[in-house]
Amino acid sequence: MDVTQEFVADGLRRAHYITNERVETAVFLALALDKPLLIEGPAGAGKTEVAKVLAEILKTDLIRLQCYEGLDEARALYEWNYQKQLLRLQADEQNGLGWDELSTHLFSREYLLERPLLKAISAPRKVVLLIDEIDKADEEFEAFLLELLSDFQVSVPELGTVRAHERPAVVLTSNRARELSDALRRRCLHLFIDFPGLEQERKIIELKVPELDARIAAAAARLVNAMRKLELKKPPSIAESLDWARALVRLGVKELDTPALRATLGVLLKHEDDRARVEAKATALIPRPR
Amino acid sequence: MSAFGNAVLALIDDLRAAEVRISVAESIDAMRAVGAAGLECVRMREALAAALIKDEADRVRFDEVFARHFAAARSIGDRPRPSRGGRIGVAGSAGGPSDGGAADEPRPPARDDQEPPRGAGRTPRPSVEQEDEAAEASARPGAPAEGRANADREGDADAAARGLSADATAAAAGDPGAAEDRQAGDAEVAGTGDRAESDAPGPEAGRAAALRAIERMPFAAYSDAEYGTAHDALAVIRRRFRLRVSRRLRIASAGRIDFRRTIRAALQHGGALGDLRFRARRPRHVDLLILADLSGSMKYASTLMLEIVAGARECFRRVRSLVYIDRIAEAGFERGHLVMTPPLDLYARSDFGRVLGEVRDHRATLLSRTTVIVIMGDGRNNRRPARADLLRDLARTCRAVFWLNPEPPARWNTGDSAIRQYAREVTAMIECANLRDLERGLARVV
Repeated sequence: MDVTQEFVADGLRRAHYITNERVETAVFLALALDKPLLIEGPAGAGKTEVAKVLAEILKTDLIRLQCYEGLDEARALYEWNYQKQLLRLQADEQNGLGWDELSTHLFSREYLLERPLLKAISAPRKVVLLIDEIDKADEEFEAFLLELLSDFQVSVPELGTVRAHERPAVVLTSNRARELSDALRRRCLHLFIDFPGLEQERKIIELKVPELDARIAAAAARLVNAMRKLELKKPPSIAESLDWARALVRLGVKELDTPALRATLGVLLKHEDDRARVEAKATALIPRPR
Repeated sequence: MSAFGNAVLALIDDLRAAEVRISVAESIDAMRAVGAAGLECVRMREALAAALIKDEADRVRFDEVFARHFAAARSIGDRPRPSRGGRIGVAGSAGGPSDGGAADEPRPPARDDQEPPRGAGRTPRPSVEQEDEAAEASARPGAPAEGRANADREGDADAAARGLSADATAAAAGDPGAAEDRQAGDAEVAGTGDRAESDAPGPEAGRAAALRAIERMPFAAYSDAEYGTAHDALAVIRRRFRLRVSRRLRIASAGRIDFRRTIRAALQHGGALGDLRFRARRPRHVDLLILADLSGSMKYASTLMLEIVAGARECFRRVRSLVYIDRIAEAGFERGHLVMTPPLDLYARSDFGRVLGEVRDHRATLLSRTTVIVIMGDGRNNRRPARADLLRDLARTCRAVFWLNPEPPARWNTGDSAIRQYAREVTAMIECANLRDLERGLARVV
C-alpha cells in the first residue's frame, strides 16, 4: 500500500477522527518510517482512538495489549501451554516414546500460547499493535519492549528469535503516570495530543452528536473548554463531553443554563471537589445569552 | 552533506544547546522524517518535532529554534506563541517559563487578543470570511477539501492558524458573543489565555512545561512565590512518588511454588502437575523516620519533602515526621499547612548535634530494625558539636540512614558545614538541589 500524508489525512477524516497537521504528520511518519508512535496526553484526549482509526485506515486488525502493574512476558508475549504439554507427555509415555522424540515437538509452536506481542510479530500481514497505557506497566516491562520496538523481533529461548514477517504499526499510549525511559522514547516518534481547542471540540460534538442543537453544541464546547482551564482533579475528556452532549439531548435541554448544568454535571465531572468547584463558578462559566 | 542537511544539523545543535536531549539515532530519524514528509514548511516542522521532541515540555523551545533556523517558517508559518513572562504554573499558562538563555533571542510578536499578529506582513490581512475559511482548514474536522486546498494554496496550511485567537475563531464560527462570554468568568477563568486552535500548546502541555521548569529550579533560588508554584505542582509529584513506592513495596500476588499444596492439588488430576500453587509473598515492611531541617535556608526543601512523603504515608507501615532546628518537634499537616508540636523557635540557630541527642533519648519509641531514617539538611551546625557518634549509634539500630542535602557538593564541607563527619555514618549522602532530585532521592530510599 502506498502511504502518503494525504492518504492518512483522508483516512482520518473518513474515520471521523477530527485532527490537525501534527497528528497527520506523526501518523504518516510512523507508517512511512516503520517506527513506533508514542502518544502522550491527558486521559480522554483521543490517544487510543488513533490506533483504532489507524487499523481502520489500513483495513487491518488491531491487536491490543492493555498494560497494568505487574504485566509480564507471560501475559504480553507468550506462554507455554503447560496443560497441553502434560497431556502430550502422558500420551507419549503410554506409546513408549523416548525423551529425544518427545522434546522435539514439546517446545514447538503447537504448544505456544501467543499473547498480543507475539501475535503481532508473527501475523502474516501488517497489523496495528496498540500498547495501551505503557506508563502503567513496570519499568522492567518497558525495558523488555526495547528489542521489539527497535528490531521488531523477540527472543523465545526454546524457539530462537522470532522476526516480524511484516512489521506491525505500533502505537504506544501514555498518560504520564510515570516518566518513560529515554531508551523507549528514543525508539519512537512522539506525539502529544492535548484536549482539543474550542472550535475543534464544537466540531467533534456536532459530528458525533448531530441531534444536538448547534447553538447548544457551541455553548457546551465553550463550557467544557473553560472547565478544562480550571485546575480540576480530572478535567472532562472528549468522551465525557460527548456523553454530556447525549445527556442534554436525552433530557431535551433547550437552553444551557445553570440548572441544566447542575443537573448534568455528574456526566462531566467525576470528583466531588471538582463538582463543587465548578458549581461555585457555574454562573460565570455559563455563556451569556445573546 | 547537502546544505539542507547541514541546516537540520545546525537546528539539532541549537536544540541540544537549549538542553533538549537528542541522540544520534534521533538525528538520523529526523533526516528520514524530513525525507518522507517533504519540505513543505508545516509538515517539515511537525516531522522534525515528531522525530526530535520526545517531551511536550520541549516543544516551545523547538518551535522557537525552528523559526530561527528556517526563516520561511517565521514569515509563512508564524503563529502566536504563548506568553513566556508570566508566573510559572498559573492555571492554563501555555508557555514555558523564561529560561534566561532565550532572553536575547528574537521573539515573535506579542499576542494581542484584538489584533492577532501577522507573519512579516507578507500577505494582506485576510477578511473575516478568509479567516473563517482558514480556521476551517486549520481545524480540519473533516474539513471540505476546498478549504484545505485554499490553505495549501497560500503555501502553508499553518497560515490558517496564524494569529487566530480564540475570539477570532469564535467570531469565525458565527458566535460574536464568544469574546464577551470569555470575559464573563472570574479571574481564574478569564486569565487562562487563548491559543491558536490547532497546534499551540494546550493547557495540559502548558502545565507540563511549567511543572518541568519548577522541578528543575534549585531550592536555593526559591522565594515564597516559587514555593507556591512548587506547592501547586506537588500533586503530580506526590502521585508519582506514591505510585513508585507502592510498586516497590507491593505485595506480589505470587511467591515461590508451594510444593505441598501443588502435589495435593495434583492428586485430584491423577498426579499431573497441572495446577501450580504458590506461596503468598511476604510484604516488605518499611518504617520511615523523617528528620527535616526547618531553618531558613532549608524550609522550602523540607516542607516539600514532608508533603511528598505524607502523600505516600499509607504505603509504609509507619511514618514519623520530625522537624528540627535546634530541637525536634512532631510535624503534621492541617489543611495543607505544616503544624509543629511543640512549636519550634524559627529564629533559633541550627544545632543538629543536640537534635541527634534528643532522637537517641527517644529511640525506643522512634526506631526499630526496620526503620529507615531520612534526614533533610545541609549539615550546617553553626560550629557547634556535630555529634556524628550519635548518628553512628542510630545507624546501627535501624535499617539505613539516608541524608538528602539540597546544597551543591561544591559547598559541602565549607564554612560551618559538618557534612563530611555525618557523611561517614550514613548509608548514602544524596544531593537533592531541586524537586526532581528530591523525588529521585526519596525513591532511592525505598
